[in-house]
Amino acid sequence: MSRETENALLLLVGMSTAIIAATGTYTRYVKPALLPWLWLTAGVITALAVIAIAGDIRTGPRHGKHTGHDHRAGAAWLLLIPVALLAFVVPPALGPQSARPAVSDAGAPRRPFPALPAGHAPELSLPEVLIRLAQDSAGTLNDRLITVTGFTLGDGGRTYLGRVVIVCCAADAQLARIALTGAAAASAAALPEGTWVRVEGRAAPGELRAESVVRIPQPANTYSY
Amino acid sequence: MPVLVATVIGLTLIGTTARDVVSGNPEIATAATVFCGIFVQALPFLALGVVVSGAVATFVTPDRLARWLPRRPATAILTAGVGGATLPGCECGSVPIARRLFGDGTVGAAALTFMLAAPAINPVVLIATAVAFPGEPLMVLARCIASLLTAISMGALWAKFGQPRWITRNLLRPTQQQDSRFSTFTEAARHDFLQAASFLVVGAAAAAALHVLVPSWMFDHLAGQLLLGILVLAALAVVLALCSEADAFVAASLSMLPLVPRLVFLVVGPAIDIKLFAMQAGMFGRAFAIRFAPATLVVATTVATGVGLLILGAR
Repeated sequence: MSRETENALLLLVGMSTAIIAATGTYTRYVKPALLPWLWLTAGVITALAVIAIAGDIRTGPRHGKHTGHDHRAGAAWLLLIPVALLAFVVPPALGPQSARPAVSDAGAPRRPFPALPAGHAPELSLPEVLIRLAQDSAGTLNDRLITVTGFTLGDGGRTYLGRVVIVCCAADAQLARIALTGAAAASAAALPEGTWVRVEGRAAPGELRAESVVRIPQPANTYSY
Repeated sequence: MPVLVATVIGLTLIGTTARDVVSGNPEIATAATVFCGIFVQALPFLALGVVVSGAVATFVTPDRLARWLPRRPATAILTAGVGGATLPGCECGSVPIARRLFGDGTVGAAALTFMLAAPAINPVVLIATAVAFPGEPLMVLARCIASLLTAISMGALWAKFGQPRWITRNLLRPTQQQDSRFSTFTEAARHDFLQAASFLVVGAAAAAALHVLVPSWMFDHLAGQLLLGILVLAALAVVLALCSEADAFVAASLSMLPLVPRLVFLVVGPAIDIKLFAMQAGMFGRAFAIRFAPATLVVATTVATGVGLLILGAR
């Protein structure tokens, strides 16, 4: 493989990284906190490619022999795979079916959690609700109306509210879920699987007693962290 | 070059069709997303890694490194292991750095110890472990000790049994006198990035495929099983290829398993997994990787089990 092709591939990897950072599709694969690092990475890779290309134009191409490239039979072609996926195919964010169900850590010690914000029905993320149910010793969820968003998920005749949780990247995705019960659970059960909803209800161990279920458009960033 | 241009034009034309095919097939979509996740997550660490390895190529010659390291091999390996704690990154970045630091005898053993220790015992990873296991501060201690012991044992094993002829991949060494420091730096970083990133693609693709193929019911049959749990989680750490900053959270979620298998998962993962194997084969050579990787797996599993039973007990 020629040095020019390697430089072009390097440039394409740098550009693809910049594209996912600029269009926001990177949130399908990694945490939003990685954004500045992705820009920096795109800059470093693009700079390495541009410096090599500019240097070759100035001094004439270097040849295989003294740069030690002769025994690499084009492994760099493999870089076309991430370029094709990130810049052209853009795989979707993980959905309900593709994450492993998480088991909540019941063994963790209980400790008092800070009180929920005041107001009618404060917004909580689904993992936050599950952690408070498992570990909170102060009973901050008892009899409080809360708002939780997620997608509907049917399993064994029950309807669950689910959310895909990632820690670092899509490879460690886990499914957080809580069973929907109560007055409004039937209206959630009537929706097609994977519909995004905002649920107002009261949480109890293992269930969310829903009082209202409102259908919402799919959020731009579907993961929870 | 014409092939590349044709491929890119082809991709632009079929991009939309390919997108529909991928999103219409849940398993392909999951594998593609997991692949992108691993690749994108590793990219910043790899960029950091090749910047450091470029600097190593420019400023650190093997002779100079040999002069800095303590004379006695045992002390040198120990220094390299503890020195690993200073590089806060993931495992992907430490492979190209270790390849640059690699030299004859003691220097080689120290570089390999550094490669195994850096991703496992740096402060970011240990803090993540403490956060993931809020009720088990001993888990952090056990992880730190077991990972450090694994790295040092592998360094010692290399010093005793390692053969330089297994290293078949050559590095771009700064040979030309007229090259400026700047061009030595950029050429080394460019070369190491291309090599490491290409093999990262192989590793990430393998991990993504296995992600879809490893059935999740497997976990349900492991409840309370110590020995079987250790073997399965060691294998799982290899095939899932998680980032060392995230694996603690996954281990914490496998709460139906005893603590010792979960410790094994945390010690094996940063030391050896399928993407690291591919990257080691790419940077050091196949003959090296097929010996070093299985040895690392056995040593890491044994050490983690021993340390786990001592510190955490059989629970």
